[in-house]
Amino acid sequence: MAEAMPHAALTKDAPVAAAWEPRIVAFLCYWCSYTGADAAGTARLKYPPNVDVIRVMCSGRIDPELVTAALAKGADGVMVCGCHIGDCHYIAGNHKTMARMPLVARALAQLGIAPGRFVHEWVSAAEGDKFAALVDRVTRQVRRLGPLDWPRRMRERGVPGGRGLSPWSEP
Amino acid sequence: MVHPGPAPADPLPPHPPRIGVFVCRCGGNISDVVDVERVAAEAARMPGVVLAAAYPFVCSDPGQALIEEKIRGLALERVVVAACSPTLHQTTFRRTIDRAGLNQYLFEHVNVREQVSWVVEDEEAATRKASRLVRAAAARAAHLVPLDKRRIPIQPSALVIGGGVAGLVAARDLARRGMKVTLVENRPFLGGRMAQLHTLFPTGDNARDLLAALIQETVREPRVRILTGAHVIGTEGVVGDFRTRLRLEPRGVDEHLTYPGNAIAACPEETINEFDFALSRRKAIYHAYPGCYPPMPAIDWRSCTRCGKCLAAVGGKGIDLKSEPREIELHTGVIVLATGYDPYEPLYGEYGYGIFPQVLTLQQLIRLLDPEGPSGGHLAGNGKGPGRVAFIHCVGARQVDGVNVPGPDGKVKEYCARTCCTGALHAALELKARYPEARITSFYQDIRTYGRFHEEYYERAAEKGVLFVKYDPKHPPRVERDSRDQSPLVVRAKDMLTGGLELEAPADLVVLATGVVPHDISELISMYRCAVGYDSFLLEVHPKLRPVELAVSGVFLAGCCQGPMDITEACAAASAAASKAAAMIAQGRVEMDPFVSRVDESLCTGCQTCLTVCPYEAVTRDQARRVSRVSEALCTGCGTCVASCPSNAIQQFGFTDAQVISEVDTLLAPEPAPEPVPA
Repeated sequence: MAEAMPHAALTKDAPVAAAWEPRIVAFLCYWCSYTGADAAGTARLKYPPNVDVIRVMCSGRIDPELVTAALAKGADGVMVCGCHIGDCHYIAGNHKTMARMPLVARALAQLGIAPGRFVHEWVSAAEGDKFAALVDRVTRQVRRLGPLDWPRRMRERGVPGGRGLSPWSEP
Repeated sequence: MVHPGPAPADPLPPHPPRIGVFVCRCGGNISDVVDVERVAAEAARMPGVVLAAAYPFVCSDPGQALIEEKIRGLALERVVVAACSPTLHQTTFRRTIDRAGLNQYLFEHVNVREQVSWVVEDEEAATRKASRLVRAAAARAAHLVPLDKRRIPIQPSALVIGGGVAGLVAARDLARRGMKVTLVENRPFLGGRMAQLHTLFPTGDNARDLLAALIQETVREPRVRILTGAHVIGTEGVVGDFRTRLRLEPRGVDEHLTYPGNAIAACPEETINEFDFALSRRKAIYHAYPGCYPPMPAIDWRSCTRCGKCLAAVGGKGIDLKSEPREIELHTGVIVLATGYDPYEPLYGEYGYGIFPQVLTLQQLIRLLDPEGPSGGHLAGNGKGPGRVAFIHCVGARQVDGVNVPGPDGKVKEYCARTCCTGALHAALELKARYPEARITSFYQDIRTYGRFHEEYYERAAEKGVLFVKYDPKHPPRVERDSRDQSPLVVRAKDMLTGGLELEAPADLVVLATGVVPHDISELISMYRCAVGYDSFLLEVHPKLRPVELAVSGVFLAGCCQGPMDITEACAAASAAASKAAAMIAQGRVEMDPFVSRVDESLCTGCQTCLTVCPYEAVTRDQARRVSRVSEALCTGCGTCVASCPSNAIQQFGFTDAQVISEVDTLLAPEPAPEPVPA
């Protein structure tokens, strides 16, 4: 039964609680995107509380495994933000991000994870409004997709500790 | 060293370290939205947390004193502060805990103001978000290890690249502060572009007189070493110890040459004299200009045929036609770039340039007005001078995309070259003084005599009868042959101040006030990884607050390599660069964050992926051990190699996988149950 889990069965197994709120983890580079997120705050822009920020020095540090780890540990969505191309504090760290993230998106798609759960965007230190709008958009689209609940799915498939990658399909 | 021992692996200490959590109210900025007491109470239940409490202003003196007191009193081993953005106070709190005797990197800063209380409206949601972030920081804090700032000693020496006025000023100022200075110039003579000018605005001084005085001041400084004909061909190292490789072109002449005039006269080879912008010719053994420094002539090896006639003319001494270039390596603590500019060279046919001999650039006119120039200061052989002169401003400056022809980089030069308005008016006044009969028309976009005492040139030119015609940059003036043969040329333009009326000015001479482009230093740019602006000039760290520093630590900017400047501004920039460089050297060392990467050799498979991704070439291969190694001095701490390593053999101090994953784990862990309400 666990082999092919149609979406209907899934929602039946795990009814979405009324109080469910998406959990989204955002990896932000310190020099541009984190400062851009600060700029949104300084401008007192309001955005949903669902995105929790983890700061790294450069988006080039964002290992694809950090993205999958966040999903495997219960995140419903992951955001990756870095400096625009040409603005990298470390010359070209974000060039590696630019190369890696489409591969991450493709790998997640192959795992059956809906594309809207993983978002990669450039946010400059001045783009507080862009950051706020991005959080708003990503929160709404992940909310529409519903809970990912990877740990439970893995448990049900007999993967110990809810870790590991096994394909299944999300609509 | 950042941290003794191997790459930062995971293992948590056997006992969770004693953590203190301080939640800032920020005078209501945070506590009006976030229930700080609840955040502290929930943090208190994290492993290892021995203290968690909220305070009005943690960054205040009493707040910091409290942290120090608690570190000592409770033997805290880690400190978490939840407050504003780390960009504001992370350094403050690191210093605080350093004063209390705790390693400053055993600190976690949580941003609950800019990224929570100021952006989340709902108080319950904001409190829960703050609580998640604080608990994640407490979990991360348990994984922190003590780190030391990297301290790189700085040699008290400087390399100044470029022997024009900016480089000379920077070298002189640095030497007077006690630094050993090497000034390198790739041409055989010092002086740069300033030597090609005649009199200077706004003082009227003779350019080469001023320059000669400055050169004497500089070369007489005992700590200054001058290398001419020197090309930077390679660089290694970082601030504190830049190792620069230079190729020294031989001068071909030494101090034993007694009658240089005889040698020059004997030389049969002639070539275009670039000093006079091709208005004259010079020999293959030559002096750049009267009174040049070094005073010995130099041999231009591209035109010299090594025929030996010069050698015969001076009795066989003082000239060496067999000398070869040699390479040397220099070690300096800092570098000042003073590579200067080139005047914009108009395209063939641009305003008739290259087609009509009567079309000159402003630089050429200045050479012709110079009594030491190619024509002895006379514009026309008959002594009557030019009858009618048209100046066209903004040639190769303030260009319009779609109207002007883009340069080889595909861009038009949109920026103002800043010096040519006053320079052109200065030359126009000079013409009027020499040839009062000359009738001068000036075609301009805007007259930008922006500097102190520059506007007077505009006023004086108007008083002396210079006519000003404001042209539309979308329809620049046209220089054509005069069909009525009244004068050789005619300049036609739409006059914006008479509603676009087509005006024409017959001209015996057309002067193009050409703009300023950076001297081609593409090799230096890639060597030092300099940031370059849209206008192709070098880009400072911050135009207002750090105007003479490059983003590469220890490299400073002086003069026109950074943008068009007049001599006043170039000298000010050079002195500022020298001051900044000297201040850095005076520290004796530079301090850098310790967030470097380190390779765990036991895990490294030697695939060398990390070598390909490092933007700083900080990763090298240890051939003997077949593993990668990161240079702590070169690593800037981006962590790109960490993410690229397929064996997880590289970790970055301060951002280890364990630290980041502990954050992820805690953020996604079930939220704490509400506190039982006390009965």
